Amino acid sequence: MTAPDLDLGAVAPLCVVAVGAALMPLLDVLLGRTKTFLSRPVTAAWAGTVMSLATTGVLSIALVMCFDAAGAAPRTFNRDHPMILMDGMTSFLNIVILIGSLLTALASGKFLADLAINRGEYYALLLAAVLGMMLLVASTNLMMLFVGLELMSIPIYAMAGFRRDSLRSNESALKYFLVGSFASGILLYGTALIYGATGTLSLLEIGARFDVDDPVLLIGSGLLLVGLAFKIATVPFHQWAPDVYEGAPTLVSGLMATTVKVAAFGALLRVFQMAFGPIDDLLYPALWVMAVLTMTVGNVMAIIQQNTKRMLAYSSVAHTGYLLVGILVGTQVGISAVLFYLLAYTFMTLGAFGVVAVLAHAGRERERIADLAGLANSRIFLAAVMTICMVSLAGIPGTAGFMGKFYIFRAVVEQAIATESSSLLWLAVIGVLNSAISLVYYLRVPMVMFMREPEPGPEPDRSGTFEGLVLAVCAAAVILLGIWPEDLNLILTRVDVLHWASVASASP
Amino acid sequence: MFDLQENLLSWVIFLPIAGIGILLALEAAGRIFMSRRLSDRSWRVAGMGFALGNFGLSLMVWQRFDPIDGGLQLVERSAWIPDLGIQYYVGVDGISLFLVVMTGFLLPVTLLASWTDIASRVKQYVFFMLCLQTGMMGAFLSMNLFLFYLFWELMLIPMYFIIGIWGGPRRLYATLKFFIYTMAGSLLMLVGLLVIYYLNAQQFGFLNFDYIGYGGASGIIDTLIPTAGAPWWQTQFWLFLVFGLAFAVKVPMFPFHTWLPDAHVEAPTPGSAILAGVLLKFGTYGFIRFAMPLFPEAAVELSGLVFGLGVAGIIYGALVAMIQQDIKKLVAYSSVSHLGFVMIGLFAMNLQGLEGALLQMVNHGISTGALFILIGMIYERRHVREISEFGGLAKVMPVFATFFLIATFSSIGLPMLNGFVGEFLILLGTFAAAPWVAVLATTGVILSAVYMLWMYRRVFFGPLTNEANRGLLDLSAREKIVAVALTLPMFWIGIYPASFLRPMDAAVSELMRTMEQRGADIASHNGGQSALASLPAETPGRVSWLREPDASAEAAE
Repeated sequence: MTAPDLDLGAVAPLCVVAVGAALMPLLDVLLGRTKTFLSRPVTAAWAGTVMSLATTGVLSIALVMCFDAAGAAPRTFNRDHPMILMDGMTSFLNIVILIGSLLTALASGKFLADLAINRGEYYALLLAAVLGMMLLVASTNLMMLFVGLELMSIPIYAMAGFRRDSLRSNESALKYFLVGSFASGILLYGTALIYGATGTLSLLEIGARFDVDDPVLLIGSGLLLVGLAFKIATVPFHQWAPDVYEGAPTLVSGLMATTVKVAAFGALLRVFQMAFGPIDDLLYPALWVMAVLTMTVGNVMAIIQQNTKRMLAYSSVAHTGYLLVGILVGTQVGISAVLFYLLAYTFMTLGAFGVVAVLAHAGRERERIADLAGLANSRIFLAAVMTICMVSLAGIPGTAGFMGKFYIFRAVVEQAIATESSSLLWLAVIGVLNSAISLVYYLRVPMVMFMREPEPGPEPDRSGTFEGLVLAVCAAAVILLGIWPEDLNLILTRVDVLHWASVASASP
Repeated sequence: MFDLQENLLSWVIFLPIAGIGILLALEAAGRIFMSRRLSDRSWRVAGMGFALGNFGLSLMVWQRFDPIDGGLQLVERSAWIPDLGIQYYVGVDGISLFLVVMTGFLLPVTLLASWTDIASRVKQYVFFMLCLQTGMMGAFLSMNLFLFYLFWELMLIPMYFIIGIWGGPRRLYATLKFFIYTMAGSLLMLVGLLVIYYLNAQQFGFLNFDYIGYGGASGIIDTLIPTAGAPWWQTQFWLFLVFGLAFAVKVPMFPFHTWLPDAHVEAPTPGSAILAGVLLKFGTYGFIRFAMPLFPEAAVELSGLVFGLGVAGIIYGALVAMIQQDIKKLVAYSSVSHLGFVMIGLFAMNLQGLEGALLQMVNHGISTGALFILIGMIYERRHVREISEFGGLAKVMPVFATFFLIATFSSIGLPMLNGFVGEFLILLGTFAAAPWVAVLATTGVILSAVYMLWMYRRVFFGPLTNEANRGLLDLSAREKIVAVALTLPMFWIGIYPASFLRPMDAAVSELMRTMEQRGADIASHNGGQSALASLPAETPGRVSWLREPDASAEAAE
């Protein structure tokens, strides 16, 4: 038996995050015992800031590594058995995940202190979840995919329930845990059926050996898709999202709505491109219906929400629908549109959740949309950031959200013209009509902030330095990506489906 | 890059938003280094300065404009997202020239008119007004369809806030309705735009959003859009409907007009003035610039529908205006009526009709803008707008009554004032194309005299019945400046329209040539007849007294 041909350099960013996750509890303990080696102990708030900055540092190192890897040729960890693939798409999705979690970590210090839940394990959980996400988008093997999914989900369950004294936070965690494990079970069952039918777990091998007439394989594929659909919250597997997002601490909701979704979408993209090519025709009608339902139900339900977080949850369901449209198109243009959209979506959704998080005041979260009344008078900065994010989520030109939608719909129309397919064109039409519906609830937020008088009550706190920085970054990124998306296009052209084929020829 | 001669149009577009940047930077610097804020007054004065600068630049565009040239002038083009054929590409021609000048003119006037009216949140007000100006200028000058779409939607946001923050009691409903109506219409246009974009790419082999090709290259306008023999959604008919819907909501054409009275009544004075003066013009501008030249066959095919809706709008708008109790609502409905005229003028598709429509767009901007601003002046004094509240105002406010009368006459279309020239040309053109439409539309002229003069009589003449009106002050010096500024162009256009019509000649002839050419192309593609062949090749009955002889000779060929 020869030594396995391992390429540790390929997974260096994952290693950094893993080491960070392991060291974070240690740092927490050290900060708690500063009395022994410092003349006076650090306060809890300081400790929280240090933890948050340390986490941000770890994530930044990984981020820089991923930027380096983005231009390089694809690499696998184990060259004999490629289960982890670091290609352009992985690097891109890793960058999105790392940016999202980095911004969350940076804003978490003051947020946790405000809610009096400033405990160090939060950051260890966060890093572990990030590791799971990165593994998830890199996996080309169903077993690795499952490991990544669980490594991502379990810390998030704990983070959702991080406010142990809050009933709704507990409800949120329990609900997320139950639905999540249910979805994992379905996914695992699908994996087992697929393995039984094809005798392999490698996505590329499954694609190569796919027998379209094998019912076991078809059922297995369906279950696998349903499992992933739960994670990205498509209709009809979305009902958990509003409850969970509402109950969880706001920044955790933001993390769930952005990076978790990005990672699950990454896995979905892999599965589609590598394994499910042969059943495209079978999946098309099912996905078409799912995309239309997801967009429409998300947008219509969001209109009647009174709670900002629930509204954002339904909005995130609606955006899942737009993303599904991109996946459905399946061309190179469509996939790069999905990737761009994920990045844009991460910034605008994090910005929106960030504003709600900053408004957390003395342990109480200001979550109702009505709580935002008059914000433009008292906190013009928060109001401006929120407005930019809402305008972008609504897909108004000049913002990242518009460019994302534009890329997706352009992919749809291109494919519709190339194949003379009316059903694809209808998808674009339904998509833009949904954008029109979404205006009703997105525009209500700036309306409340700018055009209503504030309700009597305590003034919202000033945002902390780091929180303010995070919000400013989100708002600036939304506008810059909306006006100069071009530099990003350069990265996207490296996301080449052909790279997967080269890996395929390398595998035994 | 910042050369005023080379990049004049960019200066016109971006000066207002650059002004915002400067003011925000000063505000931030003041807070950080001196811990003081800029005063409301300095924002107002600076905003006024930038608005005047913007107007000056737009006049410079006019001064440098060559009326003989029917193509794009002062063109600037540089790569933006070259992979997708998206360029920063701006240019002006005879179609957009006066819309740009009018837009430049209206901003300083409305800012001056609202000097004391808008007293709360002044900084935000200046911010949104200047942003709005950049959006409007950009949309008129963009020659890349992506860029156009960007500005087209972007200008809705400042208007949303202007109505929503400083508007009347039902402002939230009105502003949301305004936004959703106009945006929903234009979202479908985005899909249509993408369809044409890919048809163009199929035919020319590269992705391109340039509307008129730059330097001899192909543009979207060169796309052969089938009339038959393709999936239905690629045909001119459906694409025209999609584009037409976006523009018709904005015009607004009957029956898509319901957002307009709400928005106008609730909007603050400057919002109404800009909305009526400029924003509505984007609908008609969209038709003449994009929908008609891109889909000439469908435009001819559907001209009956447009005529029908246009005449319906003219008569319906006038009848509804007649019974209004609120002066502002009355003027809002008169807009529906007047823009019906513009629409039938456009779809007459001859020189008089098109030029009349273009001139009437400017006229309506000035007259209706003036009416809204004048109504704003009386509203600022009395905080009511019901006609029944007034009566005999001419006794206490003679200067105001005089200016209001001029604006009223201009709106009615009295000879020597601007409205007459536009309406006359439109009716002339329409009569040549569809006599019955012209006959029906003429009733609108009469009706407009009825509702406007009736309103004027009830407000200004008769005994001074309401005690509250007895102590009203006549116009202040500032208000007089505003009123005089608004009245001057009314007389200028009314007495010497040639200075406005001449620069339009070449561009409008060019537009008609383009439409005919595209009609011939599609006919040879189909191997059949073009609906455009029925259009008269030579436009008869040129109105020589409206223009100088040399100009018409040049434009004729």
